[in-house]
Amino acid sequence: MVVSIFLYTKPLTPVHRLDPRTKIFAMLLLFGLGLTFNHPLYEGAILIGVLAIALWSGSLANVWRLRYILLILMLFSTALWPFFITGPTEVFRWWRIRVCLESLLYGAAMGMRTAIFLIAGIIFLSTTRIEEFTASLIKLRVPYPMAFAISTAFRLLPTLVGAGSVIIQAQTARGLDLQSGSVVGRMRKFIPLLVPILIYAVRSVNLQAMALESKHFGGKGERTFYLELKPRPADYLVIFLLILIFGAALYWRLTGHGAVLPRL
Amino acid sequence: MEERRKAVQFENLSFAYRGANKKALENVSLEIMEGDFVTWMGHTGAGKSTLMYCLNALIPSFVRGKLEGKALVLGKDISKSNVAEMSGEVGLVFQDFEAQLFSTNVELEIAFGLENMGVPRDEMKRIIDELLPLVRLEGLRDREPSTLSGGQKQRLAIASVLAMGPRLLAMDEPTTDLDPIGKWEVLQLAKRLRGRGMTMILIEHETEEALDSEKVVLLKEGRVLGEGPPAEILSDCQLLKEAGVAPLPVAEFFSKLPERPAGGKLPLTVEEAVSEFKRRLKLRPSAVQVLEEKEGEIKRGGEPALKLEGVHYRYPLGVEALRGIDLEIKEGEFVAIIGQNGSGKTTLVKQFNGLLRPTSGRVEVFGRDVGELSPRERAEMVGYVFQNPDHQIFASTVFDEVAFGPRNFGLSEKEVKENVEEALEAVNLIGYEDEDPFLLTKGERQRVAVASVLAVKPRVLILDEPTTGLDYLQQRSMMEMVCSLNRKGHTILIVTHSMPTVAHYAHRTIVLDGGKVLMDDTTRKVFAREGELEEVFLRPPQIVRFGNRLGITPLTVDEMLEVVEPKPS
Repeated sequence: MVVSIFLYTKPLTPVHRLDPRTKIFAMLLLFGLGLTFNHPLYEGAILIGVLAIALWSGSLANVWRLRYILLILMLFSTALWPFFITGPTEVFRWWRIRVCLESLLYGAAMGMRTAIFLIAGIIFLSTTRIEEFTASLIKLRVPYPMAFAISTAFRLLPTLVGAGSVIIQAQTARGLDLQSGSVVGRMRKFIPLLVPILIYAVRSVNLQAMALESKHFGGKGERTFYLELKPRPADYLVIFLLILIFGAALYWRLTGHGAVLPRL
Repeated sequence: MEERRKAVQFENLSFAYRGANKKALENVSLEIMEGDFVTWMGHTGAGKSTLMYCLNALIPSFVRGKLEGKALVLGKDISKSNVAEMSGEVGLVFQDFEAQLFSTNVELEIAFGLENMGVPRDEMKRIIDELLPLVRLEGLRDREPSTLSGGQKQRLAIASVLAMGPRLLAMDEPTTDLDPIGKWEVLQLAKRLRGRGMTMILIEHETEEALDSEKVVLLKEGRVLGEGPPAEILSDCQLLKEAGVAPLPVAEFFSKLPERPAGGKLPLTVEEAVSEFKRRLKLRPSAVQVLEEKEGEIKRGGEPALKLEGVHYRYPLGVEALRGIDLEIKEGEFVAIIGQNGSGKTTLVKQFNGLLRPTSGRVEVFGRDVGELSPRERAEMVGYVFQNPDHQIFASTVFDEVAFGPRNFGLSEKEVKENVEEALEAVNLIGYEDEDPFLLTKGERQRVAVASVLAVKPRVLILDEPTTGLDYLQQRSMMEMVCSLNRKGHTILIVTHSMPTVAHYAHRTIVLDGGKVLMDDTTRKVFAREGELEEVFLRPPQIVRFGNRLGITPLTVDEMLEVVEPKPS
């Protein structure tokens, strides 16, 4: 069965129509915004904002696919940070471990920060074609072969996932049981899966390279782009608004708001 | 009148891949005129693809190795040109269409080469608008290539090469991995392209498809074995067999008759065969009876081995692939399952070993519900050989590869050894125990895959496309081996697009269409219903169609020979 594992969604929303360069820049600003505060209330507000953008751009379904990962990240972050940092208000102490209120709050904020990063990334991939991404990297003066390598990595993934699922079926039909055994035993069981996948990957990469060469890839002369990249007023508006918000947030943090602990 | 120029001129061309002892091409001399349509044929490893890589200088500038001799393509010396330079004039379509699609939608895929060449956007748009109807992909502009069918993908790959405006187009087995509809679509496209003055080279292994070309070149072990017009080359059954290419069944039939036809020319098409037949042959009075007796000889099998009752299967994303299947396969039968891609063939056979579980209905294996069986019991009842052996081979020796299954099921090392030996013997690979499976030929790797499934001693063996990617001789030896397993008592189920394979080996044929059983009968009776098969784009082999025109349904050339006699003059 053919299932697209690209994240790009349809129908197109106003976010899809933004210039990909605007989206790269906006994503970076959202990252910056996430880094500004370390108080869970503030980070929570940003998280809600990012989720609203996800909803508006039709990428919520893709975020939903990663719900368990996001949840686990947030839980682990809250549970683990207290082991590494301490604050003034002690909640309890056990042997040499002190757990403080601030560190719990900080951990929760860090979990949300990671979630913000991930969701912003998902929104970007859900609303931007790989070709648009490549094209904008080039407009931003990244050398073409490098930009193409980045986008090829994205494209190889579906092929490998497809081959991978066939390989898993073929080996389970021969009695490979991935569920049981010790940790080391289980690791060894991945060999029958990894070897065919690797060989498949090497073969298809070699073929791809030949097909690329045959399509004048890497030839001399200026490359053109079928997709048009033209910033529109909306792009400038989005950038302007985000810079404004980011600036205000920075000012706020520097004047002592939105932090449970005096660190990043 | 302007003299036609040479598009391709190879003189004593030799090439050895780096690290290989044997030359892939040896003193190949060939000429192709501009505007010609040429078919290259030969066994696996004959050098067809290697020769294609010489057309746009992939050899020697990308593929490393030692090149000798002279090669001019469209006036350019390949040893002094680079691929990018040639790519605008020489278009190559590779066998594996998955590997040559790079983009996230159809339009961008066609634009890819043009972008690399620096073509202005308006011009690209014009070219795309012109090509989409030609390759019949209008309306799919915005589709992601990975969601297209095989035939559509291949036509897209061709379009993306055509976009660059090549004067020479070479396609490497463009129909190999396609279902019959996809194949038909691609060959129709090739026909439309012929009127455009482009030089075309087609690498094919199906002999019937070479009939349309102006010239056929036979390659064997890197050398040119013969070349000439199709009427001459394709009627030389001996030469074709020597090249490892399947002879045309009707030509083979007439060549085996005691007297040669007048003028020595053998019929190549069904039409020609019918008129030649009417001139000098007639059916024996006992013809129908002889073939009916053969039907009687077919083993009807013993106890029910596989049974489906009202089976429906719906994929998680909502596609209903099986829509109510009732089926019984008895022990000892040899059954072929045919139909288009998407008709449910693979989904159906995956029910039998529990790889997929029915959404509703019941699947029984030797009287027991598949769901109740342990993995080991399942594997001992139903073995499943996947289409591509490379999707399972991982071990460093043939022995370990074949022993993988039995070891997984906890057999003792002594039993493992016995089973492996027995399995290797069944597939004729005794003596290969310590070989590295990755260094074997595709046909041998396919055998290793079969052995690795046999080593668990399943009573039923399912083979998914066992002949794809194999040449004529490899296909034959593979199927003879499967046939001998059947004689030893294994129940055999094959899923295939290869109609000659079905006609030759399967006793019973099940035709699937849209997740339902369309026909289920002896192979002969199914192939007799040619009109109905054509409605689902399935075409019986040439010898069967020839017989059908005469009112009988022979399955092989030998059967046909049995039922004819000369007309009294």
